[in-house]
Amino acid sequence: MSKVTSKNQLQGKEIERDYLDEAVHGYNLRTAMEEAARCVLCYDAPCSKGCPSNTRPADFIRSIRFRNLKGAAAIIREANALGGCTAKVCPYDRMCEEACSRTGIDRPIQIGRLQAFAVAMEREYDMDVLKAPKADKEKVACIGSGPASLTVAQRLALGGYKVTIFEEFDKPGGVLTYGIIPPRLPQDVVDYDIKKVKDLGVEFVMNTKVGRDVTIEQLKEKGYKAFFVGTGLWKSKEVDVKGKELQGVTYAVDFLKKARSASGDWKVDGEVIVIGGGDVAMDCAATAKLLGASRVTIVYRRTLQEAPADIAELEYVQALGVSIFTKFKPQEIMGENGKVTGLIAEGTDDFSQLKLKANHIIFAIGQDAEDMKKIAQVELNPNGTIACDMNKGFTNIDGIFAAGDIVNGGKTVNEAVAAGKTVAESIIKYLTKKEGVN
Amino acid sequence: MANKADLSIEYLGVKCENPFFLSSSPVGGCYDMVAKAYESGWGGVFFKTVGRFIADECSPRFDQNGKEQTPWIGFKNMEQISDKPLEDNLQAIHRLKRDYPDKIMVATIMGSSDEEWKELSELVTQAGADLIECNFSCPQMTSHAMGSDVGQSPDLVRQYSRAVSSATKLPVIAKMTPNIGNMEVPAIAAIEGGAKGVSAINTIKSITNINLEHMTAMPVVNGKSSISGYSGAAVKPIGLRFIAQMKQHPLLKDVQMSGIGGIETWRDALEYILVGSHNVQVTTSVMQYGYRIVEDMASGLAYYMEEHGFNKLEDMVGLALPNIIPAEELDRNFKVIVKIDHEKCIGCGRCYVSCFDAAHQAINWDFEKRRPSVNDECVGCHLCLNVCPVPDCIEPGEIKYKDESKRIPKDIAFQTRYE
Repeated sequence: MSKVTSKNQLQGKEIERDYLDEAVHGYNLRTAMEEAARCVLCYDAPCSKGCPSNTRPADFIRSIRFRNLKGAAAIIREANALGGCTAKVCPYDRMCEEACSRTGIDRPIQIGRLQAFAVAMEREYDMDVLKAPKADKEKVACIGSGPASLTVAQRLALGGYKVTIFEEFDKPGGVLTYGIIPPRLPQDVVDYDIKKVKDLGVEFVMNTKVGRDVTIEQLKEKGYKAFFVGTGLWKSKEVDVKGKELQGVTYAVDFLKKARSASGDWKVDGEVIVIGGGDVAMDCAATAKLLGASRVTIVYRRTLQEAPADIAELEYVQALGVSIFTKFKPQEIMGENGKVTGLIAEGTDDFSQLKLKANHIIFAIGQDAEDMKKIAQVELNPNGTIACDMNKGFTNIDGIFAAGDIVNGGKTVNEAVAAGKTVAESIIKYLTKKEGVN
Repeated sequence: MANKADLSIEYLGVKCENPFFLSSSPVGGCYDMVAKAYESGWGGVFFKTVGRFIADECSPRFDQNGKEQTPWIGFKNMEQISDKPLEDNLQAIHRLKRDYPDKIMVATIMGSSDEEWKELSELVTQAGADLIECNFSCPQMTSHAMGSDVGQSPDLVRQYSRAVSSATKLPVIAKMTPNIGNMEVPAIAAIEGGAKGVSAINTIKSITNINLEHMTAMPVVNGKSSISGYSGAAVKPIGLRFIAQMKQHPLLKDVQMSGIGGIETWRDALEYILVGSHNVQVTTSVMQYGYRIVEDMASGLAYYMEEHGFNKLEDMVGLALPNIIPAEELDRNFKVIVKIDHEKCIGCGRCYVSCFDAAHQAINWDFEKRRPSVNDECVGCHLCLNVCPVPDCIEPGEIKYKDESKRIPKDIAFQTRYE
């Protein structure tokens, strides 16, 4: 497996980065206590209000501060089925940390790292925070095994429902397992959060795509009383650029999934160009670089300030030696013998031009919904996402609910968890009172 | 050093280049250590207590406790007096005085009978010590005829002070235990016995932490532990109080004090001087940071003297004593109301929480704006000001008099500034 070596500017040391290495080191007890002690322990804390999924950062930080590590872990696990994952991938600078009062003194508390520490303690102590009651209520099917589905499954299992998750791929987690790179989200963190859902009695059925391998009607016959659709967005957006059919053109979802499935045991040869400016584009660039690409370049049509990618993500790829061209959009993919040889991009100023050599071009310009009509005749938005209330999750069809990227068009894991929590309540209400249909 | 303030002071007739001494402890127990300390800038050393008794130490023997991100606020040690033969120690004292004649060597001794105290007194005098300190206060001796059990008995303190003084021409210092209510009583006894100076405080009997798995105190020595001496920054307030109380006693006001307890910075040292100490002794912070800390003690103190126009250290000794008065004599005719700077406020609400839960419900909280405001209930206790994490955000403000006819023409608010 290849590595990227760079010099630490502060210490002059050579740092090796591997595809499976985490970008940020975790806290130990002492450093966690130091960071928790920096917290000013606000009254009516703004960080907690800034968390979409209500993971209660103010409370778990206070628990750490007062040496109640198990209590901290319990707060997170109770509030957030994906406490381990969100600790790693939340855009804190737009959520809890943006709200942090400490910023008024110097810099915000590193809330995500404290959360990761508390979840690591949960593992260390082998805690069983949640106990599901006997599953003697109705059967519910969750379609897809990403953040929204896992959250709904956790909530329903805790409510005594028999939950089955149906997943198209061979491993659960959806975007967590196939869409985010290990330096940001190590697989063991994903697996641990999923294990905690499994431990509540949730059944996982892999390699089963609802609408292809099994239908909702068939599931109804098997006794399923409610359905949750949390399939995410897995169809890559395509652009109409000359040369897009050439060998070497690929899409972010497929590229990341291939790398992740191979656990990094896959060599990317030659020069790589990534088109896009979001976290997924950054993940593609980092993956390409860490898997051996000789040069990786990002081409983005807007400015860095406008790029949706996290600052930390941008800094990370730049530390890996990835260069970024802004305000350029692809004009033509060049090729020879059916293979990509380069990219011509034109400046959005209608003057600048860019011609770059490339063996691979990865489009990371967003994802669309697959055809949801194959699952059920739910009402769709013009962009193919499911039309329903984002928080309540009722679709136009009785007994079918939806949340996550397939509803909101692609937001954060945290927001998927948040929606999953409220939609689970809708499902419980539906099953207990059979009410609330649109 | 950037400035030239004179830090020298005469202590019990001995000219000292500065007031910074190592206390009798693990930090000054052999030739090489003391030589390095002298060369680092320490004015003198109270050599690790010597006696006929040779300590057999346990392992481990230390523990420390902290708060938030600050470890070592308090430190516990179970070491006793020197674990080296008396002859080796006398040899070291002799060589150190020979090689560093301008540095001060105080021999700290501990005996268990009149004869032993006398013998030690003679031996360290012959070895060349400048002064003798009697250790009446080590709280972890394995012999009850020695240590703080002695220091708690005014009669034994008087008797042994007399024995030591009778066997030497050198001034004798009594090192007191804080494990007692009124230190004045044994201190007066020491002076009656012939001692010329008093050192305080030795360590405080303590249990720093209980090990929650082994059900004993820390440190755990083969499943057990013992109560032993506590030191470090946490004990400074207790040391200052004992020195001040002794210096305010009519029978002790002219006795020269050596201040000990929690000294890490020049400020700590100066505080001991201001309550009447002629010098200070340091161990715990040296254990944590090394001899080099004396550089900033000396430099910082010199800057302070320059800033405040003091030419001699002696001139600062005891300056705070007249202003430390009995509680019943304090002026209680006014309250200093706080004012909150909303520009500096970060909206954490800590002042609101503390005022409601622990004071007088005198702060209102605006949930919308996340800002506190002071209401008419404020009694001027200043709890809010002490919990506020932002410097100068909450400050002393308006002064309200209980009896307007007794207004004071001074700026009281300024006098209540906090760091």
